[in-house]
Amino acid sequence: MSAAVQGLRMTLRMPREAEEPVEAEVARQGDEDTLARRALAGDRAAWDALVARHHRRVVVSLLARGVRVDRAHELAQETWARLIQQQQRGLLTELRLPNLALTQAAFLAADDARRSRRESISGAVEELPERQHPVDPSVSAERRLLSEEQLSRAHAALAQVSPSARTVFLLACDGQELPHAEVASRVGLSVQRVRQILCEVRKKLRSALEEETHA
Amino acid sequence: MLKPHLTRDSAEQYILGALSPEASAALEAHTLECEPCARLLQEEAVLSEQLQEVAQSFPREDRVIRPARWHVRRAAAGAVGAALAAAASLALVLLPGGRAPHPSGVAGRATTTAALELEMGAPRAIVVACPDLATQDSCMQAAEERGLLVQYPWGTGEVPRYEARTGLPEGALSARHPVSL
Repeated sequence: MSAAVQGLRMTLRMPREAEEPVEAEVARQGDEDTLARRALAGDRAAWDALVARHHRRVVVSLLARGVRVDRAHELAQETWARLIQQQQRGLLTELRLPNLALTQAAFLAADDARRSRRESISGAVEELPERQHPVDPSVSAERRLLSEEQLSRAHAALAQVSPSARTVFLLACDGQELPHAEVASRVGLSVQRVRQILCEVRKKLRSALEEETHA
Repeated sequence: MLKPHLTRDSAEQYILGALSPEASAALEAHTLECEPCARLLQEEAVLSEQLQEVAQSFPREDRVIRPARWHVRRAAAGAVGAALAAAASLALVLLPGGRAPHPSGVAGRATTTAALELEMGAPRAIVVACPDLATQDSCMQAAEERGLLVQYPWGTGEVPRYEARTGLPEGALSARHPVSL
């Protein structure tokens, strides 16, 4: 009985191309999940794939925190080393990338900044610059985060972009770190064109965000 | 050795990962020596982080699709589990489990399956929420006559439920006064 139903389902679905992206999505999602699961089980190949996919994002997040490029690369390497170490000790119960790596990298960057400041000042505590002006880490974090108004402005700007460009942008930037080649194959464009579109959208959103800060 | 200063474009390309390895290495080496260029690169990185935030908070189109005659369709859910799994990424389909399948013939199931398949394919369904159990039947009928989909209160987590509930569960010990055990 279920075979008959299955057969019917397949004949019904075959002519519909609209279904394909959905299935591809499911397959890719499954791929991501199995990668994370294999990495949690200690599979080096899975770790390599995950690192290759998310490394750039980690480096960029460190750059955004004002870390120098060479140090950013070192810290990103250390981030992955720590995550793998934690996995080997059995301390990782689930692997949500890239957020876990970003958090770890932020922690390492803060630690690094603290240490270098301590080392640069060998004298007494009174000589520390934050003795006079206490450093509030939330200030810089707040500056990085967007205000509600900026967000809505950016959304409005994004809504005016052509639908295909918006799709490309959302695919490339939705936090799953799809490589540009993958985005290109999904929307049926060349990688060059995808990057071009990303740059255009980026320019529009930049002006939308900056407009707000000047006002 | 004097290296060229960064432009916005080159910084952007670097952030996007579009530069060749040699070019990006040269760019990195330059930012280590040149403070304004390092700041430019940081600005681009901040922008890219902000764009991630924008993309993640951008409201996606409504993807909730519910079959109209849910209680009938639910009987066929077991048979089309694979179909539902495929659609689950597109549509938020909640399957309250634990009920025996509706006794119906093979032909009946086949037609409901076909109907379900077709309905899943409908893009951008208009979703009607019937707020309470009292008006559910009339609401559902009115909506179905207009060709809309109906969302049942017991089939979803989003419809507000108003339950009367007093603060402490019965038999709970009070923290305010000493309790004799």
